Amino acid sequence: MTLLSLLFWLIAGGTLQVLVPAWRHMGQPAFPFLLGVVLYAAVNKKARYFVVTAILAGVMADSLSLAPLGYSACAFLVAGALAVLLRADFYADKARTVMWFGGLCAATSTGTMALLLRMKGLVSLSGSAIFWRMAGSAVLGAALIPLLFGLMRGLERRLGIWEELG
Amino acid sequence: MKDRRWIALCAIGLIVLAMMNLSDSASLRVKGVVRDGISPLQGVLRGGVRELREIFRYIRGIGDLALENRALSEEIVYLRGEMRMARELDRDNQMLRDSLEFVRRFPNRLISCEVVGRDSTGWWQTVRLDKGASSGVTEGRAVITPDGLIGRTVSVSDRTADVLLLSDPSCKVSVRLDRSGVFGVVSGLGNKPGEQPACRMDYILRDADVVEGDEVVTSGMGGLFPKGLIVGRVQRLEMSEGGLYQVAWVESAAPLGELEYAFVTATEEDLAITEPNIPEGFIPDDDIQEEERP
Repeated sequence: MTLLSLLFWLIAGGTLQVLVPAWRHMGQPAFPFLLGVVLYAAVNKKARYFVVTAILAGVMADSLSLAPLGYSACAFLVAGALAVLLRADFYADKARTVMWFGGLCAATSTGTMALLLRMKGLVSLSGSAIFWRMAGSAVLGAALIPLLFGLMRGLERRLGIWEELG
Repeated sequence: MKDRRWIALCAIGLIVLAMMNLSDSASLRVKGVVRDGISPLQGVLRGGVRELREIFRYIRGIGDLALENRALSEEIVYLRGEMRMARELDRDNQMLRDSLEFVRRFPNRLISCEVVGRDSTGWWQTVRLDKGASSGVTEGRAVITPDGLIGRTVSVSDRTADVLLLSDPSCKVSVRLDRSGVFGVVSGLGNKPGEQPACRMDYILRDADVVEGDEVVTSGMGGLFPKGLIVGRVQRLEMSEGGLYQVAWVESAAPLGELEYAFVTATEEDLAITEPNIPEGFIPDDDIQEEERP
């Protein structure tokens, strides 16, 4: 049931990702719909669910853009792993904490993606442009991810599949 | 317990590495499946968004009228709404007529497509079209509008195609100036929201005859873009850093930020792949109309 709910959110996130164009300010970062689902799984679910979600979300994100397959999965796994590492010490189920987590992980994901794309020579962005874009991602992550977390948790509670991760 | 964790980490790493090293054809197949799977849902949602926008516009119109004169009768509001819709239809009609006229004038075969999305990642300047390989669209074809060239197809699935826009730094087009015949290469300037122009023309000889307002057209060299397609106009000129070349800032002729329809140029071979098997003696309606045309 947990996997089904995550799949539903992945499809919804993927569709929204296609429909909503990148933000026109701060280096044109993407709205982190799919990253939100990955982070939700990283913070609230068991590790295996997080890994499956990150890989599926990555395949979806790369399929919807010109990025080579596997790049977004890598970026999502790095951002999610950061969330898992910090979860035990810093994470609390409060909007402000989720906001910080969202911002930090969105910036990490964008930074990883930029690094991979630059290494492959697919984008030619300067260091300052990448930094600016990471800042833009952090703003979007901080604004959007608490909302996504609220929606996902709300649905899980209604379905009766919400469980507190010990 | 630690061993299991390491094994799991290695397995994840291997999966990601395997994905990154998939062959181009396998990678395209996987991408195509996901994109084609999402495109119907995307279509439905886009339709919904468009309807909502229309309703919102209509309501806003009613609100404005109410502010102007609250005593206006319901019938007048209704009629004004109808008029607004008629004007919208008229605009669409004119746009479609222009498109049809453009298709008739153009020497190549054209595949008419609707723009269904823009790049959502922000890494590239692309738009997505609602037609793909099943309609005869192939990779590396020029994409145009009645106003001019907009880019080329880069990633084609069965039902969708991504177009790399002129404004993307990796989209390079061999061009010449229509007036003086001076050659150069146009490339995009990337993400500069609200800023014009979208492209720059490099490698113009320092003594070449270039003036502001010159029309830039495709040169046809390189074979990717047909010759003579309008790219844009020279907006301003500068000397390159070393002083060896002139650099022209080019304003694209097509409104790259407001695309609704586009046409993919196609060769006869592209379209032959998608021609259906027609029984002998069957005359399609289109052919009958074609014969009746003056």
